[in-house]
Amino acid sequence: MITLLDYGAGNLTSLEGALEALGYAYERAESPANDAAENLWLLPGDGHYRAAQSSLLASGWWTALQSRIHQERPLLGICVGLQLLAEGSEEAPEAPGLGVFPGLVRRLGPGVKVPHMGWSMTSLANSHPAYRKDSTGWLYFVHGYALEVSDCTVFSAEHGRSFTAVAAKGRVLGFQPHPEKSGAFGRDLLDQSLLWLGEIPQDRQVQKVPQ
Amino acid sequence: MPAKRVIPCLDVKDGRVVKGIQFQNLRDLGSPVELARRYDFEGADEVVFLDISAGEEGRSTQAAWVREVSRELTIPFSVGGGVTRPEDFTRLLRNGADKVAVNTAAVRNPELVQEAADLVGSQCVVAAVDVKRDPECGWRVFIKGGKEATNLSALPWLRRLQELGAGEILLTSMDRDGTLEGFDLELLREAAKLDIPVIASGGAGTESHFLEALEAGADAVLAATLFHEATLPIAQLKRFLSERGQLMRLEEPCKR
Repeated sequence: MITLLDYGAGNLTSLEGALEALGYAYERAESPANDAAENLWLLPGDGHYRAAQSSLLASGWWTALQSRIHQERPLLGICVGLQLLAEGSEEAPEAPGLGVFPGLVRRLGPGVKVPHMGWSMTSLANSHPAYRKDSTGWLYFVHGYALEVSDCTVFSAEHGRSFTAVAAKGRVLGFQPHPEKSGAFGRDLLDQSLLWLGEIPQDRQVQKVPQ
Repeated sequence: MPAKRVIPCLDVKDGRVVKGIQFQNLRDLGSPVELARRYDFEGADEVVFLDISAGEEGRSTQAAWVREVSRELTIPFSVGGGVTRPEDFTRLLRNGADKVAVNTAAVRNPELVQEAADLVGSQCVVAAVDVKRDPECGWRVFIKGGKEATNLSALPWLRRLQELGAGEILLTSMDRDGTLEGFDLELLREAAKLDIPVIASGGAGTESHFLEALEAGADAVLAATLFHEATLPIAQLKRFLSERGQLMRLEEPCKR
């Protein structure tokens, strides 16, 4: 079961549609109190980094996320959700992040249009057991800030410079693009991520991910 | 650089996709979700919905179809029409739209663009601008679906919208709209000087017209009837643009 963190930031409807199409069970939760700890947590997010963080703090999710990370339980962040998992962001320098992924989230540009909005080619930078080796394709991005490349970078994309599109550390994965909005390839990556994080889709045979 | 985008546009009235000439003699074409799904399958990069419902009644169906489209579509979509308050942005985004387009209300109250950008982020704010050539100012801005002239000159207005925090411009040439004679390339070359993406709209009739618009600096191209009637299938257009050197997203469509 997946718990969708419903803290007022993030397009949950699209995510729910994608999870249903892929056959994964999920539930929305507005505060950590309503939630079973064994679930996979899905941390969405859009808008301003600081606004997302304040809202997570106010709803009690931030502390719950910190202890979850400490316990090494599975977690998937999307868009600002990924950015919150980094050490911090130039968008809100006074507010440290959850610190799972090394590096800072930095403003894109100069020399390119910001926000980076649209489809960019995304390719595997470091192989990872969650993803097939031929995983390269177009993903949909909407962001003005991006996480710098580190050893946690699994997929990278480019907008003026190379940045982290998908990061992984332990059982925590993070997507800068929106896999739920990225056509067939996005759905496939989301599926591979959820399978690797231990989720089992309900209405189809589990396919083994080739190593 | 992201890929150039091909965007079909759908007019929605009272929860149904309609087509008519100047909003007259409207024909029912089907449900928003069913048409959007077709475009998704054909390889569209994004879909724009323009809600032309007049009263409160039409609006009340909006939440339902926006939510349904959001669940079904595997690509992003924008919704415009009747957006006048910052709450309209939050409401549409909460219902699953990826971006919200504002037109008339931005002219009447430019601070709305700024408030919306502060509230939901520039990336979710699309400024739709309808313009017509004018000997006095180059291009003049029109509002209320092109029915009312303003005293705004288009190019300074586009820059102002960017400063106010619009994340993208949907720029329609009323002179070209419906003519099938090609986009207003001079207009696009000027608009391409902005720092935010520009969607070219109005006048597309052939594959080459789309290529010209992208070469003039547009980041995305939009059309309605051409795609709807499948006069020019989206997949064929994208292959054409890609073969002529434009960076396009080409992949197998989503079957789920």
